[in-house]
Amino acid sequence: MRDRGEPRPLPVLDATGAVDHAAGAERFVANEARTTWHDASLWFVREKRDRAASTVEDWEALRDAASAIKTHTLSRLDEYLAQFEQRATARGITVHWARDAAEHNEIVLGILSARGARRLVKSKSMLTEECGLNDYLIGRGIDVVDTDLGERIVQLRNEPPSHIVMPAIHLKKEEIGETFHEHLGTPAGDDDPDALTAAARVHLRARFLAADAALTGVNFAIAETGGIVVCTNEGNADLGTALAPVHIASMGIEKLVPRAADLGVFLRLLARSATGQASTVYASHMHAARPGQALHVVLVDNGRSAQLGRADFWGSLKCIRCAACINTCPVYRRSGGYSYGSTVPGPIGSVLTPGFDLQKYASLPFASTLCGSCAAVCPVRVDLDVQLYKWRQLAVDAGYVSPVKGWLMRRLGAVLADPALLQLTVGIAGAILRVVPRPLARRLAGAWGRWRELPEMPAQSFRAWYRANRRGPD
Amino acid sequence: MPLGFAQRIVSRDDLVARFIDSAAGAAARVVHGTRAELATLVAGFSGDGLASDGVARFDREAQRVASRCLSMVPGVPGTVAVPDDPHALADLDLLVCEGVLGVAENGGIWLPASRLGERSALVLARHVVVVLARSSIVADLHAAYAAVDVSAESFGVFLAGPSKTADIEQSLVIGAHGAMGVTVVLLDE
Repeated sequence: MRDRGEPRPLPVLDATGAVDHAAGAERFVANEARTTWHDASLWFVREKRDRAASTVEDWEALRDAASAIKTHTLSRLDEYLAQFEQRATARGITVHWARDAAEHNEIVLGILSARGARRLVKSKSMLTEECGLNDYLIGRGIDVVDTDLGERIVQLRNEPPSHIVMPAIHLKKEEIGETFHEHLGTPAGDDDPDALTAAARVHLRARFLAADAALTGVNFAIAETGGIVVCTNEGNADLGTALAPVHIASMGIEKLVPRAADLGVFLRLLARSATGQASTVYASHMHAARPGQALHVVLVDNGRSAQLGRADFWGSLKCIRCAACINTCPVYRRSGGYSYGSTVPGPIGSVLTPGFDLQKYASLPFASTLCGSCAAVCPVRVDLDVQLYKWRQLAVDAGYVSPVKGWLMRRLGAVLADPALLQLTVGIAGAILRVVPRPLARRLAGAWGRWRELPEMPAQSFRAWYRANRRGPD
Repeated sequence: MPLGFAQRIVSRDDLVARFIDSAAGAAARVVHGTRAELATLVAGFSGDGLASDGVARFDREAQRVASRCLSMVPGVPGTVAVPDDPHALADLDLLVCEGVLGVAENGGIWLPASRLGERSALVLARHVVVVLARSSIVADLHAAYAAVDVSAESFGVFLAGPSKTADIEQSLVIGAHGAMGVTVVLLDE
C-alpha cells in the first residue's frame, strides 16, 4: 500500500553514500520540544523495564542462563538447524533455506504464487524489513498489509519503523489522527488513542478475513520439537495465521533454542525487557499447520553466518530483539530511529549493521557515548559497548573515518601520554578560555563547541592548588 | 545444561494470590466460582460487564448481551458449533474454554488447540472466558514448561489478558485485534 510516492528522505547520507548519523541526529534535535518528548517516551519504557526486572528474584541468573543457552546454541548452530529442519519436516512443516534477502523474497513470492495468493497480512517482522520484502512483493502485484498497529501507521505514512518494538514511537497522536483521517476516514481532529485503535481494528479485521496468506516473524524456534514461537500483544499474528490458508514464518537462523524448556528462561526475560510487561498477551507455539492449511518456515542467513565467524562480534547474534538497549540509549533517545539509516537502530543495530557494509555504516559505532547502559540492561548479556568500541577500530583502520578526526585523536593520545605536554596544553587552553570571548572560543572548539558550553576556567588549576597546599608530608 | 531455577516452596493460597495479581496486571478480570455454578455464571456475563474499557467503547456489538457463544466447557451451553471454516466465527461474541494451567508470575494460561475448539476463536471472539482450576496454578514459566508438552498439539498459547497495544504515544489500549475482555473463572478445586 505504499501508494504515496517515494519514501521520505530518511537517513542523511554523505557524499560517498555512507550514513551520516551525526547529520541525521542534528536534523532530529532541531526540534527541541520533540526531542525532549521522544527522550521521555523511551525513558518511560526503560523505567517500566526496571520495575519488571526488579520483581524477579532470579533476574541476574536468568540473564546468565539466557546468555549461556544462546552461546551454546550458536556454537553448534549447524547441528541445531539440521535438527530443527528434520523435526519440523516430520510435522508437515515445509522448511526453506535462504542465503540472502533476495533468496528469501523469491521463496516467499514463490509460495504465494503457487497458491495464487494476492492478499498478504503480515505481523511484525524486522527480518522482512531487512530483506525489503514489502516493496518486492508490492512491485509484483501482491497486496501487503502490515497488521501490527504501529507498523500499519508507518506503512500508511510510507515510512519505515523507527523502532523495532514500537514502530511509530516517533509520532504524536495528532499526526496519527491525521493519517487515519486521510486513509481510514476517521473524523478530522480525532486523536483519542482508543478511538483510533477502534478504527484500525475494524479496518484490519476486514483484511484478516479476506487474506489469502499470513506472514509472521519468529521469536524463537525450538530445535528439539521443530516448532516456532511468536509473541504479540495485539493478537495480530494469531488472527492472521488462524484464518489464512497459508502461514509463512520468516526467521533469522539465530532464533533457535535447543529445547522447549529453554523458553522458560527467554519468555521470562523478553516482555519484561521490552515493555515491562510480565508476559506478552499471546505467546503462541506453532508445531504444525491447522488442518487444511500450509505452514512454511523460511530460515534466512543474510549475513548471519559471516557475523558468527567474527571473533569480536558473534555475540550480537544472541540478541532476542527486545529493544531494551535502544530504549536506554542516550544517543538513540535524542537522535531518533531514522538517524541510523538501518533497519535495526540503536546500540544493537550499530553492532549488527556494520557487518553488512562497514563503509556505509561506519558512523553507527560512533553513535554512542560508550556509557555501557545498553550492556547493563541486555537480557542476554551482549557486550554491546565493547563491540561498538571494536567496530570503531575497524572503521578507522579501513579509512572510513575522517582523516582529520584520526589525526586529532592520535595527537590527543600523544598529549595525554606526556604529563609535561599535557600541563602545557592545559595551561595554554586555560589562558585562551580566560581571555577569548565565549562565542569565538566555542567556534575554535569545533564540533564540540557547536552544541556545548565550554567550562568556566578557575583562576588556579587543581594541580597548582595542590602544590601550594598539600605537597608532601608536614 | 540444567537450568537450576529451583522451585521455592510456597503455599497454594500464595500462588493463587500471585496469579490473581498478575492476571489483573494483564487487565484480565478474575472471578471465583464452582464447576456447578459455571453455566449460571457465564449466562450472567453481559457484554458490557465483560469489557468497558478501550476499543469496546466504540463497538456497539460489544455492548449487547453475548448471543453467539462457542463453549468448549462441558456443562456450559454454547450457541455455535465448531465450524469447518474458521471464517464462520467472524462475529463470535464469546468463547468459553478451560485452561490447562495458570502461571502465577505473569497471569498466563496455557491453552492448547483442543481446548479452544478452533484456534481462531481465541482472537475472533469479542470476549474470552477461561475456566481455570486453582490447583492448576504453578509458580513460573520453568514449572509451566516442565508440566506441559508444548509440542503435543499443532497449536498452543500462553494467554495473558485481553489483546492490547500501546503503539499510539504509549497509551495502553485494550482490544487491539483480539479479545476486548478476558475473564478468568477460578474454580475452587
